[in-house]
Amino acid sequence: MSAPTLAAPRPTTTQDRPRKPAHVGRKVLWLVVVAVVVAAFWGVDISWDALWDMPGKLWHYLGLMFLPPAWSQLPAALSATMLSVAMAWFGTALGVVISFPLSLLATRGLAPVAVRWPLRAVFALLRAVPEVVIAVLMLSVTGLTAFTGALAIAIGSVGTLGKWGYEAFEAVDGGATEAATAAGASRAQVMRWGVWPNAAPEVLAFWLYRFEISVRASAILGLIGAGGIGKMLVDNIQFRVWDVVGILMLVVVVVTMLIDQISGTVRHRIITGRWEVPVVTALRRRSVRAARLEASPSVLEDESRDGTVG
Amino acid sequence: MSGHHDDDGARGAGIRFEHVNVTYPNGYQGLRDVSLTIEPGEMVAVVGLSGAGKSTLVRTINGLVPITSGEITVGDVSDGAAADGAAAGETYRLSTLRGAAQRRLRSEVGMVFQSFNLARRTTVLNNVLVGRLHHTPTWRSLLGAWRADDVELAMQALERVEIVQKAYSNASELSGGQQQRVAIARTLAQQPRVILADEPVASLDPPTSHVVMRDLQRINADLGITVVVNLHFLDLARRYGQRMIGLRAGEVVYDGPAADADESTLEEIYGRSLTAEDVLDAPPAVLE
Repeated sequence: MSAPTLAAPRPTTTQDRPRKPAHVGRKVLWLVVVAVVVAAFWGVDISWDALWDMPGKLWHYLGLMFLPPAWSQLPAALSATMLSVAMAWFGTALGVVISFPLSLLATRGLAPVAVRWPLRAVFALLRAVPEVVIAVLMLSVTGLTAFTGALAIAIGSVGTLGKWGYEAFEAVDGGATEAATAAGASRAQVMRWGVWPNAAPEVLAFWLYRFEISVRASAILGLIGAGGIGKMLVDNIQFRVWDVVGILMLVVVVVTMLIDQISGTVRHRIITGRWEVPVVTALRRRSVRAARLEASPSVLEDESRDGTVG
Repeated sequence: MSGHHDDDGARGAGIRFEHVNVTYPNGYQGLRDVSLTIEPGEMVAVVGLSGAGKSTLVRTINGLVPITSGEITVGDVSDGAAADGAAAGETYRLSTLRGAAQRRLRSEVGMVFQSFNLARRTTVLNNVLVGRLHHTPTWRSLLGAWRADDVELAMQALERVEIVQKAYSNASELSGGQQQRVAIARTLAQQPRVILADEPVASLDPPTSHVVMRDLQRINADLGITVVVNLHFLDLARRYGQRMIGLRAGEVVYDGPAADADESTLEEIYGRSLTAEDVLDAPPAVLE
């Protein structure tokens, strides 16, 4: 017979259809978001005239900066960048050394709640405060030096690394832990051989990723006078030496991207166990494709021959 | 515990359950008034449905699951006459066992798990050496600076399960059957007096299951280690167990020679008629 339609006799069971959800909360949320955006526009007091001639001014200043940049300042810019990177490296390393044992103590199953929650609160607090603010707070104690910047980065790193650490340790599959426990291992040994081998790649990758973040943070810390590229940048902007600002911008962008690429490649190797250098991979892919193209005519030939025989 | 090469057999420990009850924090009763004695060097197959208490039973023996009441004794379980048991080693009472003594017991009781429980991102050798952790000072184990003796013992354990050529491979590169044999080598490296196996073949295909079961059987026969193995498949239990213990809803409903268990006893244990899923090899026709 014909396929059942909506007009077909309905089943006799008395099922209550659900009422369409009202989603009041969702509507209120949208209203609030819109209100906030509108309020924000009122609040910042935008001078629309300035916005109008902004593109022109932007071109003007870009010209001042990059036509041409002050190449003579390249060595100075590079050495200032190295100081920033050193600040980031030292700060991150210190952050790793401090955060590692703390993140262990914040891991469920390894430490009691009385230790875990205060530590997690400290991590959250540190994450909430930007490095710049930490550095400003520390200025009075350690002075305006690169060391202050490194310490600020270290303290900031503890917040993120601590959280990532305990999350990685807690995410480890419990099997190896159970096996080590069942073999009579102590708590530290269970940690070392039940948890660490499986968490290590992630944790190492986090350390590198945090270093990448720290490199960017170190440039910003220079702005408040903690030395390095940021300090050089702000000094030259103050005295309107635009061609030096241009070379500094170039160096910052190139060095930061280079570090991101290298660090990212190493992180990829740690997580997947395979090297995947961006340029090399692209080349290899192309060569594989070329080889396949070379091979394909014969493949087609074989197929057609098979076809005729069959 | 320095003598590594004392594989002179008859080293198994006995296990005695006396009116053991286990109630989990959520109120679920895992074991009900279980009393039984496993002699040193026995190979016992524990069968029953999922949730019948098999895992609970083996996990109480090494204290992974604490008992609520009753007593479990591991070691010398001979009645009264303890004089001739001088060479048998330490005897443990689970109801009061804590801390260092509990770790000492666990070092003498190896455990094999359904999902192998290897640290997948480190080498096979390191995984086997986990079985030596109890005898390794903390600083050595934290640095991974294993003693040469322990590495030798681990290699011998890998040789016994015929997988030594994978010693320096990452555990994640191995197949399921190979991983389970590594897990057995890990328990062997403990030089245990008891091996507990919790559904050791449930994640393996039939041929590999037989390889793993034969490994356990050989270890039991050659080294005299007491083996308690949980199995879902009845044909494996009958084939490899000397003795079969049937659990149903936390109670022992069968305890006797594995060979004597016929379909009706098995249906009694399972509380329903048998199906093709209860056996590994045999076609349904054999049982129906």
